[in-house]
Amino acid sequence: MPAKDDKKLKVPDKKTKSKDNTLTIHVNINSSRVSSRILEERIQQAVENGARNLHVIADGQHGIGGRIWPRNEAVRISVEGPVGQRLGSMAMFGTEIVVDGSVSDDVGWINCGARITVLGDVTNGAHNAAAEGFLYVQGGGGARCDTMTKQNPRFDPPQSWYFRDVGDSFAEFKAGGIAVVCGVNPRNPENILGYRPCVGMVGGAIYFRGKIKGYSEINVKQLDLTPQDWEWLTVNMKPFLEAVGRNSFYDELTRSADEWKKLIAYTPAEKKTWKKLKMLTSDFSREIWEAEVGKGGIFAQYINHDRTILPYITIGVERRNKPVWNNEKYLPPCVYNCPTHIPTHKRASLIRQGKMKEALSLVLRYSPLPATVCGQICPNLCMHGCTRGLLDRPLNIKELGGMALKLPAPKPAQKTGRKVAVIGGGPAGLSVAWQLGLKGHGVDLYEAENRLGGKIELCIPRERLPHKILVKEISRFKEVGITAHLGKRINQKAFEKIYKGHDIVIVACGAHQPRRLTFPGSGDTIAAIDFLKGINSGKDFNLKGRNVVVIGAGNAGMDVASEAMNCGAASVTAVDIQKPAAFGIEMEMAKGKGVDISWPRFTEKYDKKAKKIYFKDGASLAADLVVMSVGEVPVLDFLPLSVHTEKGWIEVSEFGQTLDVKVFAIGDATSAGLVTHAIGQGRVAADVIHAQLMQYDYMPEVKQVVPYEKIRMEYYDLCSFEGFEPKKEAELCMSCATCRDCHMCEAACYHGAIKRVGHKDGSYEYIVDDDKCIGCGFCAGVCPCGVWEMVENI
Amino acid sequence: MEPAARLDHNHQLSLGEFPYIIRWREDRCKRCGGCTAVCPVKAIEPAVKVVRTVSTEAPIPTPAVTKKIVHVVEQVTDIDRYCTGCGTCMLVCPNEAIEPEYNPHNKLLHFKNKGGDAYKRGGRRNDPSISTLDRLKFTRISMLTDPALDAGRHEFRIRTFLGRNLPPDSLPLETRDGRLVVKKDGVFVPPVREIYPIMIGSMSIGALSPPMWEGLAMGVTYLNEVENMPVVMCSGEGGMPPGLLKSRFLKYFILQIASGYFGWDEIIHALPHMVEDPCAIEIKYGQGAKPGDGGLLMSYKVLSLIASIRGVPMYVDLASPPTHQTKYSIEEAVAKMIQSMSMAWGFRVPVYPKISGSKTATSVLNNLARNPYAAALSIDGEDGGTGAAYNVSMDKMGHPIASNVRDCYLDLVRQGKQNELPLIASGGVGKKGNLASNAAALIMLGASAVSIGKYIMQAAADCLGDEYNRCNLCNTGRCPRGITTQDPRLYRRLDPDKVAERVVDVFKSADIELRKTFAPMGRSTELPIGMSDGLSINDKSMAERLNIDYAC
Repeated sequence: MPAKDDKKLKVPDKKTKSKDNTLTIHVNINSSRVSSRILEERIQQAVENGARNLHVIADGQHGIGGRIWPRNEAVRISVEGPVGQRLGSMAMFGTEIVVDGSVSDDVGWINCGARITVLGDVTNGAHNAAAEGFLYVQGGGGARCDTMTKQNPRFDPPQSWYFRDVGDSFAEFKAGGIAVVCGVNPRNPENILGYRPCVGMVGGAIYFRGKIKGYSEINVKQLDLTPQDWEWLTVNMKPFLEAVGRNSFYDELTRSADEWKKLIAYTPAEKKTWKKLKMLTSDFSREIWEAEVGKGGIFAQYINHDRTILPYITIGVERRNKPVWNNEKYLPPCVYNCPTHIPTHKRASLIRQGKMKEALSLVLRYSPLPATVCGQICPNLCMHGCTRGLLDRPLNIKELGGMALKLPAPKPAQKTGRKVAVIGGGPAGLSVAWQLGLKGHGVDLYEAENRLGGKIELCIPRERLPHKILVKEISRFKEVGITAHLGKRINQKAFEKIYKGHDIVIVACGAHQPRRLTFPGSGDTIAAIDFLKGINSGKDFNLKGRNVVVIGAGNAGMDVASEAMNCGAASVTAVDIQKPAAFGIEMEMAKGKGVDISWPRFTEKYDKKAKKIYFKDGASLAADLVVMSVGEVPVLDFLPLSVHTEKGWIEVSEFGQTLDVKVFAIGDATSAGLVTHAIGQGRVAADVIHAQLMQYDYMPEVKQVVPYEKIRMEYYDLCSFEGFEPKKEAELCMSCATCRDCHMCEAACYHGAIKRVGHKDGSYEYIVDDDKCIGCGFCAGVCPCGVWEMVENI
Repeated sequence: MEPAARLDHNHQLSLGEFPYIIRWREDRCKRCGGCTAVCPVKAIEPAVKVVRTVSTEAPIPTPAVTKKIVHVVEQVTDIDRYCTGCGTCMLVCPNEAIEPEYNPHNKLLHFKNKGGDAYKRGGRRNDPSISTLDRLKFTRISMLTDPALDAGRHEFRIRTFLGRNLPPDSLPLETRDGRLVVKKDGVFVPPVREIYPIMIGSMSIGALSPPMWEGLAMGVTYLNEVENMPVVMCSGEGGMPPGLLKSRFLKYFILQIASGYFGWDEIIHALPHMVEDPCAIEIKYGQGAKPGDGGLLMSYKVLSLIASIRGVPMYVDLASPPTHQTKYSIEEAVAKMIQSMSMAWGFRVPVYPKISGSKTATSVLNNLARNPYAAALSIDGEDGGTGAAYNVSMDKMGHPIASNVRDCYLDLVRQGKQNELPLIASGGVGKKGNLASNAAALIMLGASAVSIGKYIMQAAADCLGDEYNRCNLCNTGRCPRGITTQDPRLYRRLDPDKVAERVVDVFKSADIELRKTFAPMGRSTELPIGMSDGLSINDKSMAERLNIDYAC
């Protein structure tokens, strides 16, 4: 559209028409230079007025010859004189511009179809962002020529022809169009495309002839011309040379396609296929690294394993942990807590398998007095420890022990010819004699009293231990062929004789000498042991309606108190200087009978006449009888010097051996304990004595107790029955630390690594296939019995 | 009689005390045991549970009880086996049935002192807040004011100098026959290396597993040999295998000497056979992660490999004490060590000390400024990492790197020596993954180069650790990734070639990011050391402290 101040532009000017109908426009009038804006207006006006051939005599104006909108006729503009920047910028199809000489920067900027011929050089930025049309350059180009050129699919691609060469940063970000650099008489014969051409180029093509020094290799590649390229080049070369007046070079420039190369952009698809690294690090490692530092890398000489990569889940030797079927590695708490280590879990297992007889008789291998001890007088430490107790109640092992009463004695082994002597027929002596007798040794048992049983027989109240049970078990004891010498009290001389006549002597004389406190009137008291012995042998203490005081409120004191009540005492008070040590059935029984327990009480004196006992706190109690129950010590006057005693007790090893290797000592002669301790010591010592007699090396195996956490109680329902029934009881047993053969591990193992293997002798084991096992610990985690354990795989 | 032992619930911890709680989905688990097999701390184990339901389906109350015993994967509540959240279980689970979840209410520190020993661990400072480095922004963007530069088009010289740069008037140059030549007689020209401004910091063979260390070393060598990027790496204290000492690649490595002097007799033995000088020698006086605390390589890590390289017997604890035993003052320490180490290579190798970030850094700096043989000062800030340290050292000791390096740089500026003594900054570079921008920020605050550790372990070997105390098992030798362990069953999980490849990736991409950071700021294609007018921060007091612009 004409400018608003159109009229002002119509002042007479130097617009003249030549003979060939060319309108010549001078830009200097009266030595005054016309501005770029005025020149533009004049050109547009002239074209509007019908001019189709214009000749501009320029003086550095900007953007000459552009923006002539297409009129279906060619508008030819020739230019002379110095031109400004952006000649032919935004020029349209139909515009033909010929510049007689060199041009300034950005010639043909956003060329939209004009044919621009420069009969000289172009400077920087020629054909920048050109989209269509031609740029013919008779000379060379400056820096950043042909940058940002593109091709609109609606039109033909722009062409840029440079007769000589171009400057640095050529064709940056070129997205379309064709550039041809003929390389004739270049300024730098070593490099006709300048420094680092084609950075960011994504489309179009560059044909060039001559040497170059590199290009942006991440954007373009250099190729030979195809026949199609060559045909295009030779055909289009003609009008270019024609335009720039260099026809004579046609033959030279088209003599061989081999003199030409082309640069084209990599396609995005091609770039996608590129490797991210110039060289694979694995290749680098082998070909460069190891070649220099040595085969296998810098650590090869120090490592002795494969260099292969391991997965996170590994098998075999590469596992961190591995499972072990530790059947019976630990003791169940019942066994561990029982001094005799009676394997109740095995009894339960046998009962579950329907082997009731084997189950019940198993106990006789461990104790001669199961019905008496387990079934009656033992506090049943086994039951206190029983894992089942954490869930509901412990197994009724007491009843189980009682069931052994009527069983016959096991058959002793063949006679060994060895002779042993046991001094004392109490629980310890009976136990060791029983064990050694069963092993086939000849046993002489010496008992001071006329009956076997020791304190069980002499002291324990009959109401706690029905006498017939003891009698029955003592009679079974005698079945194993032990020679019992009753009423035989041993003195030093007798001992010497026994010592000489036997391979081993076991001292199990118990503790029968009462300890006594001394205070005024203490001589008028009687000892608990004498009292209890008297009761059991039928002596009448004439206590009916009397007041009894027991000094010492331990379990023996409780037995005394109970018996005193049984004798019809009006009151029985047990006193102690500290919290009473009594516990369990003894204490319950005494309390149930109305025994009063009083502590702390420090006795001051006993006045027999006044029938009063006085305490240091000033209190007193009526006391027709005072029984002193502060323990007993052994009578050891018969021992030889070779058996060492310490503070009145025989010093022994863990297994009952004294410092005289031929002499063992067990039970209360070594330290005060429960009956079950005496029986346990007898069994342990018997094993050691047996080994010594048979001359083989043996040390009793000391196993740890299984931690409760290892037992999976979740598998068991709460006990829902009452009373005692061996089969149901056996079902309650959790088989701690002992495989119950339930196949849980086998089923749980996802990898099928666990297999049960049965052996000819009926035994079995579970084994692990190391090539399948990943060491996950499921077997250990789910084993009901805590048999499987995970260990470091080293 | 002994009462029977019972489970004691009184001193049992609940899962709520633990830093990570295992989320296990029964419905997805197929009980394959992968998770329990790989858990590095045995925090999970298979267990048995009872599931009991009472239901009624009849129109009147008709209870039906079903009981099922199920096998589960259970987290243990033993503080010695606390879940560290590494997530190896999650990694191997084929069914996405298990994952650790962070428990922000945890009371780990209340209980981790069990047995009277203070909590030791590996990793980094447990502080997930945004560091000063991540708060710095590049606010001077040139478009029309300075020549705008194009990161893709213009060629940047992302390089720095390690070594003493003499001021122009001290250069031993003279004009002879109209040409500038170097004076020959008796003039000491300090050795200077042109290196990439991001280097891999000191992590020892021993602290790192063989494939990790070799992977890093290969990556660095690849960058030099194939990519033409002069990235260097510090050995850490623990020597280097002779294969590398005697190779031409030695020039890409900085040898560290620390208070344990481990591996140095092997290095000295290798000296006559060296075909190249090392890039530099770093004298370690301190470490940002555990200032004032020494190093300790546990005996179970001292197997034949470590024993041979370090020149020590096997199966002994290797202590690097917090202080060097033969140095009693800064003057003596610096002069003596720098002299000795320079002398070992005929004064051809730059020698510089590394200290932990500290208020005393400027004192050290001023001492170095007076020592003509001091090649640089490396300062390691509180956000650095370590293989093993007391938790208290890591969490509470140390100085942030930003103001520390800034103080030092401005101190040099006051002396007119800012171009002479390069500062190397480290400690938290790339803490949140912003490797290049953190590096650029430190450079613009005045560092000539930065050093990285944790970032490269995370990026190159997928180290699982983070500032929420995740994993951080480096000290136990049970690194689930195989990065910080000497157990072949664990470290063979790591492919050194892959580590090398990732090192190459990291540096190539950081290089692009550095260009993308420096280009828009215009002015120069050189490294903008100390160009602090390009930086801003949105905190007035920080801006004041760092002597930079405040922008909001």
